[in-house]
Amino acid sequence: MSEIKHTRRDFIARSTAAGMIALGAESLFAPSAQAAEKNADMAIAKWVDQRIPGGAELKPIAVELTEKAIEGIGGLNRFVTQGDIVWVKPNIGWDRTPELAANTNPDVVATLVRLCYEAGAKKVKVGDNPCDLAKKTYDSSGIAAAAESAGAEVVFLDRNRFRDMAIGGKRVKNIPIYPEILECDLVINVPIVKHHGLTNATMCMKNYMGVIENRRTFHQAIADCLVDLTRFMKPQVCVLDGIRILKNHGPKGGNSDDVELKATVAAGIDIVALDAWGAELMGLKPDGVQSTVQGDALGLGTMNYRALNLNEIGVS
Amino acid sequence: MKLGFWRSVNVRRGIQILFLLVFIAGVVWTRPVPGVEPNPILKLWFFLDPLIFLATWLAAHAVPAAAMLALILVVFTLILGRVFCGWICPFGTIHDLAGHCFGGWQRNPKSREHWSPRQRIKYYLLIGFLVMAVFGGHWVTLIDPLVLLYRTTTVALLPGLQWAVEEGSTAAFQSDPGVGPLRLTAVTEPVYEFFRDHVFTKPNQAFLGSGLIAIVFLVLVALNGYRRRFWCRYLCPLGALLGLFARWPLLRRKTDQATCNQCDLCGAGCHGAATAAPGSAWIPSECMGCLNCTDACNRGGLTFQFVAPWSREPPREGLGISRRTALGAAAGGIVGLALVRTTPQARGQRYHAKLIRPPGSRPESEFLARCTGCGLCLKICPTGALQPALLEAGLEGLWTPRLVPQIGYCDYTCNLCGQICPTGAIEPFPLEIKQQTKIGLAAFDTTRCIPYAYGRDCMVCEEHCPVPDKAIYFLEVDVLDRHGAPAKIKQPRIDADLCIGCGVCENVCPLKDLPGVRVFSGNETRHPDNQPILPASDLPY
Repeated sequence: MSEIKHTRRDFIARSTAAGMIALGAESLFAPSAQAAEKNADMAIAKWVDQRIPGGAELKPIAVELTEKAIEGIGGLNRFVTQGDIVWVKPNIGWDRTPELAANTNPDVVATLVRLCYEAGAKKVKVGDNPCDLAKKTYDSSGIAAAAESAGAEVVFLDRNRFRDMAIGGKRVKNIPIYPEILECDLVINVPIVKHHGLTNATMCMKNYMGVIENRRTFHQAIADCLVDLTRFMKPQVCVLDGIRILKNHGPKGGNSDDVELKATVAAGIDIVALDAWGAELMGLKPDGVQSTVQGDALGLGTMNYRALNLNEIGVS
Repeated sequence: MKLGFWRSVNVRRGIQILFLLVFIAGVVWTRPVPGVEPNPILKLWFFLDPLIFLATWLAAHAVPAAAMLALILVVFTLILGRVFCGWICPFGTIHDLAGHCFGGWQRNPKSREHWSPRQRIKYYLLIGFLVMAVFGGHWVTLIDPLVLLYRTTTVALLPGLQWAVEEGSTAAFQSDPGVGPLRLTAVTEPVYEFFRDHVFTKPNQAFLGSGLIAIVFLVLVALNGYRRRFWCRYLCPLGALLGLFARWPLLRRKTDQATCNQCDLCGAGCHGAATAAPGSAWIPSECMGCLNCTDACNRGGLTFQFVAPWSREPPREGLGISRRTALGAAAGGIVGLALVRTTPQARGQRYHAKLIRPPGSRPESEFLARCTGCGLCLKICPTGALQPALLEAGLEGLWTPRLVPQIGYCDYTCNLCGQICPTGAIEPFPLEIKQQTKIGLAAFDTTRCIPYAYGRDCMVCEEHCPVPDKAIYFLEVDVLDRHGAPAKIKQPRIDADLCIGCGVCENVCPLKDLPGVRVFSGNETRHPDNQPILPASDLPY
């Protein structure tokens, strides 16, 4: 009986060769446009067809827009290393269905989870600290089901497992933060663009309020607190969901009349720029949200997102 | 004849433990699961309870169809006597276990373990309470043993366990002690997560007045140190009702007089103290069928056998209830009702501002005529908002549910309390109706609310208001700061037409001592007389 023998040396040699070939193949076959986008700071993928289909037809569009936006900043390989544990942090704030645009679009979240795995992540966790009852909110937002089907571990933030941390902000010195999030190799912040009674709009910076507890006093100086929190969280990459946006009665909404279909997704490394773009999507000026203005002033990013290496992608 | 381990008393003990575990499992399983209607089987204990059936029927003249199941227990008792008390009742089992621990029947059995005329007290109590029920007072169900145990488990025992599990595991989590690579949290975290995900309703759950409920329970259990099954023999209204049905049971105890030497071993172990003296006749209304007597008799002189209902053999003894005392008890019931009803609140002259009933609750008098205070709604409320009332609803409303917004709020997409209520005190409103049912009205305390009192933005309440068009809105107003410089702040207001009184605003207010927005019972849908706001014309409700 013949037997194929693999020595360790043989194995290392062969796998190195295979790896070289794979690397070479990528550089050979990748579209040339992609090379220029490798260092893009921000990408906006927009559905450019006159008609934006609603309902079930919106799902493949949300998936494609997310893929294009991520592709537009050079793919998740830029942020995810082989074997990473990634926390995808959507806005799962309220017990509302996806149609009411009070939470991040579940298809955007699921696509991100898939892209993380494709980029080599070992595990992807999805979770937020909802304002409404967590189990109901995870369910009705559609995010739990979508993320799970994409292979993510859906995590409920346990109130008894937060840890008080000294974040050394100007306004916020100590705040209980969920340790499991910080222990991840990468946090991808993926909020929805929506109206907020106090701040006019809630986007990326405000979404970090979902990693903490004792957040109710933040509202008294919301911009100061968000700047402190954002600086502590050190955002690497954010994705802003503008598939459906909530134009009024935010952040909880509940009226389908307040929802507008925009079919656009942005991704980027500059959180302030993304928030400035989101404000425009809401019909505000880029400086219409105070936390964006302060983030810009304190050097967390730039409000002038057009000055960045911007990649605008039309999808139809 | 001895059968060793499988003898009848051990079978009975096994069945008792089984039913106790089933009962506790039922309490634990009463958990809010999103999108799932609670299983009606969770209410089965209360449907089987003829005391709840009778009292509710007398007081409210209406019972849910499923409560007809109580007839099963009545027929069961007519045939077998108070076997429910001796074999099934979970509260009885706790008394047995306590009695066993106290060793009460071993200390001085002969003087203690015989029937006492005071065992008639429970019948007089029952008579008084049922007369009260005829006039609409539903108070007796408050001390129904199943209700009492369910409430105690929900309000005191489980939260006590939860406190121990949560605090213990959190302490371990935060210090993470270990020896080398071995971590204590490797054990404590999975245990904690099991309880969190499968047993507890919400994190850090606690109930107002749980101390009183725990003390009542502990005192009743401690009384086993004085007399075994003190509660069952002297006080239990359900035991009394079943005792009335058990006066001529088909299964009766027969003493072989030729064998009996009046050693009184049978009396020493008797749960119900169902004989008045050594060798005297058996009192079926007190007998719980525990079979300790047949087991204890060394001569095999005692047997249980089926007889015709009209049979005069074997001899039995009645209750000895005197007509005069019974009439006195009946009068006592009326006097008692008068005492709890002659209050301004019960006479409809005022409404308690903080008596916020769960949505679907009937008008107060009808509510009280149905509510047993069992605690099912308290247990299933996902936010832990429902709390046992102390005196907010008067003495008559002791331990009935009320919403305490500082502790929890009425979740906009939840109607579990109405679905779980076994007597229909809270009606099972569909979600669309529930969302339009006002249980109160919020009001800002401008001396507390941060934008009013301290001139800063806040608006946490507005953000959480679940009404799609927002019952809380804000106005941008000009204020002056301490230096006289003008500033703009957002001040919240309530739209009284839209506010449903869910209480989430009060719950999330950053002021945890005395919230700046509070919900009061005024404007509640169930009381037209307590509605100060003239409704808008274009609202559907």
